Amino acid sequence: MHLLKWAILLFGFWLLLSGYYQPLLLTFGLISVAIVVVVIKRMDNVDQQEKSVSTGYRVLRYFLWLISEIIRSSLQVTKLIWGPSKSVSPSLSKINVSKVPHNSRVLYVNSITLTPGTLSVDLEGDELTVHALQKKSIERLKKGDMENKLKIIWGENE
Amino acid sequence: MLLLDIVSGVLLIFGAFFGLSGAVGLFKFPDFFTRVHAASVTDSIAAILVLSGLILQTNLDLNTAKLLFILIFLLITSPTASHVLAKSARHGGLLSMPEKEQKKEIES
Repeated sequence: MHLLKWAILLFGFWLLLSGYYQPLLLTFGLISVAIVVVVIKRMDNVDQQEKSVSTGYRVLRYFLWLISEIIRSSLQVTKLIWGPSKSVSPSLSKINVSKVPHNSRVLYVNSITLTPGTLSVDLEGDELTVHALQKKSIERLKKGDMENKLKIIWGENE
Repeated sequence: MLLLDIVSGVLLIFGAFFGLSGAVGLFKFPDFFTRVHAASVTDSIAAILVLSGLILQTNLDLNTAKLLFILIFLLITSPTASHVLAKSARHGGLLSMPEKEQKKEIES
């Protein structure tokens, strides 16, 4: 089932990128999609975990929230950049991520890095090392807004 | 169409401003890790603003889709690149500012 989803997604991607609709080129597109799907199938056999594409409302909701978060923290960092250089108080801290579902950990860590002001440095076991420009961004992360959002949106799947 | 042009112009100008801020921060901030933060301003908000400004200039055709793809892939790959930079710096033994201060205190 998730292979079919991948196939449709990839073919749509191919169509939008190429923009040619002659039969010959469409066949080429279909062949390349088929090759990729075969590779995905074989990969699934190797690592035993199916990576399905998450589509729909939930992703969109998280994405919109993430963009608002990015805008907020970008303004903070921009203020720091143009302000006096002493206001920077870099700090390094370990955050426990054992509550974040395994499937969405990559998304969580990537979201942390994507919002300016916080940078995920290392993930070992359940310990995530985060470097932040200001101490208060670490406190904000520890409060767990992003974590809760992810749990609400993806937690039901586990 | 005039309204769209104005909105897209504003988005582009703000995007350019944030890109510039990222570049200034890159020179101004004191050490490696803080500089990565400055660069991530350019990666995230400048990219979002500039690309959405450009999307408003298209006529909802293939180019719109391509610009959207660029945005999505940038949002996935740029934090990965920052993370890899930071991780390799850390594994290579580079200390961040608070750790350096701690080390100094211990030595003195």
